[in-house]
Amino acid sequence: MATHAPTHAPSGPGHDTGHHAPPPLSHWWKRAFVWVVSSIFAALGVTWFVRWAWGFSPLWNYEVYMTVIFAFMGIAFLIGIGCFDYWWDYLRGRKVSYEDHSMHGATSWKDYLRPNTDHKVIGIQYLVLTFMAFVVAGLYAEGVRAQLAQPGENFVNGQTYNGLFSMHATVMIFGFVIPVFSGLANYVLPLMIGAKDMAFPRLNALSFWLLVVAAVLLISAPAFGAFSAGWTAYPTLALQGSTGTTMFELAVQFAGASTIATALNFMVTIVTMRAPGMTVWRMPLLVWANATTSALVVFGTPFIAGSQFMNLFDRVMGTNFFNSANGGDVLMYQHVFWFYSHPAVYIMMLPGFGIVSEVIATFSRKPIFGYRAIAFSTVAIAILGFGVWAHHMFVSGMAAWIRIPMMMMTVLIAVPTGIKIFSWLGTMWGGKIHLKTPMLFAMGFIVTFTIGGLSGIYLGALPSDIAMHSTYFVVAHIHYVFFGGSVMTIFAGTYYWFPKMTGRMYNEKLGVWHFWLTFIGMNLTFFPMHWLGTQGMPRRVSDYAPRFANVNLFISIASLIMVAGTIVFFYNMIWSWAKGPKAPWNPWRGRTLEWLVSSPPSLFNFDVTPQVVGGPYQYGIPGARHAVVFAGPELGGGELTETDKRLVLVVADEAVASASLIEDIRRRSAEGYWRFTYVVPSNPDEHRAAERRLHAALAVLAENGVEANGTVIDAPPMQAIDSVMREDTVHEIILTTYPLGSSDWLDQDLVDRVRKAAGVGLTHLTVLPGEAHAAAASVAVEKVALIANYGIDDAGLTDLVKSRADAKPLSAIVLCPLSLDVPSGSPEAEDLRNEASGRTAILIARLQDAGIQTRGEVLDGSVAAAVKIARTAHRADIALLATRPGDQVEITDEITEAAGTMTVEQVTTDGHTSTAPGASEGR
Amino acid sequence: MTTENITLGTDLSGSGPVEQPRHISQATLVMLLFLGSEAMLFASFFTAYFMVRFNVADNVWPPIDPATGKAFVLPIAVTGVNTLFLVSSSFTLWWGEHRLQHGDRKALERGLLVTIGLGLTFLVVQFNEYWHLGFSPQSQAFGTTFYTLTGLHGLHVIVGLCLLTICYVRARRRREFQPDRAPMLWASSLYWHFVDVVWVLLYFLVYLL
Ligand code: HEM
Ligand SMILES: [Cu+2]
Repeated sequence: MATHAPTHAPSGPGHDTGHHAPPPLSHWWKRAFVWVVSSIFAALGVTWFVRWAWGFSPLWNYEVYMTVIFAFMGIAFLIGIGCFDYWWDYLRGRKVSYEDHSMHGATSWKDYLRPNTDHKVIGIQYLVLTFMAFVVAGLYAEGVRAQLAQPGENFVNGQTYNGLFSMHATVMIFGFVIPVFSGLANYVLPLMIGAKDMAFPRLNALSFWLLVVAAVLLISAPAFGAFSAGWTAYPTLALQGSTGTTMFELAVQFAGASTIATALNFMVTIVTMRAPGMTVWRMPLLVWANATTSALVVFGTPFIAGSQFMNLFDRVMGTNFFNSANGGDVLMYQHVFWFYSHPAVYIMMLPGFGIVSEVIATFSRKPIFGYRAIAFSTVAIAILGFGVWAHHMFVSGMAAWIRIPMMMMTVLIAVPTGIKIFSWLGTMWGGKIHLKTPMLFAMGFIVTFTIGGLSGIYLGALPSDIAMHSTYFVVAHIHYVFFGGSVMTIFAGTYYWFPKMTGRMYNEKLGVWHFWLTFIGMNLTFFPMHWLGTQGMPRRVSDYAPRFANVNLFISIASLIMVAGTIVFFYNMIWSWAKGPKAPWNPWRGRTLEWLVSSPPSLFNFDVTPQVVGGPYQYGIPGARHAVVFAGPELGGGELTETDKRLVLVVADEAVASASLIEDIRRRSAEGYWRFTYVVPSNPDEHRAAERRLHAALAVLAENGVEANGTVIDAPPMQAIDSVMREDTVHEIILTTYPLGSSDWLDQDLVDRVRKAAGVGLTHLTVLPGEAHAAAASVAVEKVALIANYGIDDAGLTDLVKSRADAKPLSAIVLCPLSLDVPSGSPEAEDLRNEASGRTAILIARLQDAGIQTRGEVLDGSVAAAVKIARTAHRADIALLATRPGDQVEITDEITEAAGTMTVEQVTTDGHTSTAPGASEGR
Repeated sequence: MTTENITLGTDLSGSGPVEQPRHISQATLVMLLFLGSEAMLFASFFTAYFMVRFNVADNVWPPIDPATGKAFVLPIAVTGVNTLFLVSSSFTLWWGEHRLQHGDRKALERGLLVTIGLGLTFLVVQFNEYWHLGFSPQSQAFGTTFYTLTGLHGLHVIVGLCLLTICYVRARRRREFQPDRAPMLWASSLYWHFVDVVWVLLYFLVYLL
């Protein structure tokens, strides 16, 4: 049981005091529906009234009415769904309970479909919505590639093609890349700084639903006549076209409001809600990145809002911002737009830098190289980013003198970007790199993003940009920085925090497949575009010169590899979310605060405010810690640690207690995340023997502090494993067999069969039979030396040892001393020896069959010599001197001396402990 | 997990449990940042204004209105007086807040009322000006930039008035706001001062310059 209740668990009884349960889902959506429908009539009425009052004619103007209708519908939806309820009560002077958490947290999927104030729920809402937008935009991209697969109009006409690429870029940028980072940060940022939620949870909910409105407007735009001026929406092109363009302009306003609200929320959260001890220089780099990004959003986004307002007014109101016939300035649009949209490319990249810093440090197991350099360069990029916008306008006909300063600033930005790349490489250098999926994506990102940065330099340099502006070279650049940059980091972050967010592990193998398909697919798709660009193929045109045909066909086919990768990704995410193995608190052994709470975290993250005591990336530094999380008072208030360990299933038969298996388990156990269950497949005849072996193994493990248990199941291995896996979530299987040739299990192909059937990681361990029977080196297992000659093969002796073994795990050493009175080299001696060996072998075999680890030998010498060997060579704890009933061995001084501190007991081979006088009880 | 020790976000009313001590209230901070954002929104429209004026119109400003054949005229004097109304409203609001520091709640309510009254006066005068200007947002880029800048500002005045009204309602009905703890009031007054400052700038750049 986790000491932390997961998010989905109903809250404790104390929590409901003063809270009314939120109304059911249908309540919100019915209300939203009523509001939206009424808003259409309200919009019609208001517009009609204003136009009438102002004396506009004609009274009817389709474009104007549609604009007002869409704007009203968006706002009405937000009101109806309940985003403003609390504030409405507040502004009416009603009593509001500021501590009202009735909209916080989720107990079922339904709670994800209404406004929710829990940052964890909002984070997941964001991720699901934005990944849906990713799919939509991806389909548009495939439409573009279908058209470009061959020259000529073969799939759609030019007008539709314009719509395709415009929708692709717009949905990707405003519907996916920008908000998906808000989603990831929403989930992890409050956790990382030790906060219980964001500073303004209700504003946070509003941000998300604003995005819903934007996404719906954008995605339904084609139904009203595709928007086809490109994502940059330059006038005068954007002033023509149908209502879809209006919807784009409105959607940008809603999306912009959403990001600004989120950014304000992040900034206030970061400034005011850090846990005690978290100084700015102890903030994880993701927090740095998001603080900086938020500043860019807050100060940059109003410019795109402004530019789209102007577009909208010119479109529907007939104003003259861009109408040069009436004194407008069409170039002004580009200045205003790029003043936002260049910083926007960093809005889309800096959070990714943050993710990559987290992932690379964690999976390199080394402190991050140049923490402050990364932090400062993030800020530097943000500041410089506001001074380079006109590098998108080199050939626009703007004032020529702006070009050189802009070019110099542009090239300057490459410096802080380079600093980061070197910091990440420096972190990996000499680290112990774990190539898990998030790390693969982070490393792939470094490669592809660097290529994108280099092509950026070419475009930033005035002379080459004049040649390559508006060619496919720019398309190559965009995609290396967006796909090779932003999207790779998004995948890295999604895999990295998937266990934290869902409480389940994703499938590593599929993750690796996804990475390679994506990485190879994206390079094959986008790299040839550099060449196309330098050869002069223009972007945003539905047709091209026949000499580009082969390369374009190649690109279109290569893009399908990415599609395949994406399918693998979604399959992995959906399947793992529903059925994946349960995730531990800290699967990556990260140091930051989100890993110190359960997966998923409890309703309010931290019951007691955590204390930060050091930097976040002190990997490999003995004793270094980042933070301490405390348990709530009901748990005693001590430090909170994971109690829920993951299960490893150990399958073995005769090798149950072999030293190498035990060593393997001990090593894993030291990682702290595992507990072990043995399953020993057996049959009724060997059941007792298997049990004895198991007890010996468990005794050794218990002595080593390993959490382990086990059962013997009288069934074939497959069935036995299955019965355990039905009851418990198994994360890994260790299958132990003898080497090929001496193993029945391998003959039955068991390893492959288990691997296929179980679907979890499997380690196959081979153990030599000799090792399996060697005595365990542990004080928990008593080492018993059996010293006997005649009668050694009596059944009674075996029974005696068995019953001892049942009482307490033991391993046996059988020693048969031969005091020869014939010359030791003579044939008689040889016969005697063979005879004795035979007898001894019988006992050894019997004991081994009974599940007792046994070895033995015949030795020339007296009983005393055997006792000595038992003590010195075999380190036995006790020596049993066995004689046939009636016989007596005299415990001579010689024997007592040989025994030293070892106990010596006399037994008879009929199975009774003899009570012969003189038996030494040790000294 | 008990409700008592869970404190989320900011408490606009000032009646919730006190959070960890900090130097700046969350409401003030978020309002400052938001005003930064608002400033940038105005900046984008000022950019449009300046580019239209200095890039295209070549310093012939105000330009000729083709509809009348004469240059556009703006009522500088009336708007100047109106500017004084708005500026003085900042002082009345400040006075109300100042009195609250001394525990005088009645004065706070009065200060708010007078401020709201001045703000409304400003709006009415400005609306009247629109009515009588004789040109529209469709009249050349001059009309476009003039109406969008003043209109955007007018919207902000309306929002500011709403905030002040909420403060007034909360102060009267729920006796909210303590001398040392009135985040909603502080945030609203910041917003109102911002609206004022922007207007002074706008009056200077659009009417006088
Ligand atoms: C070393 C860094 C970079 C430099 C020097 C640089 C430079 C440039 C230049 C000069 C252009 C204009 C090309 C043209 O239209 O002629 C451009 C376009 C573009 N860049 Fe970058 N860039 C850099 C990094 C980035 C990053 C990090 C991103 C995004 C994550 C990005 C996204 C874009 C996009 C989207 C465009 C195309 C805009 C359009 O649709 O026209 N760039 N870049
Ligand atoms: Cu740029």
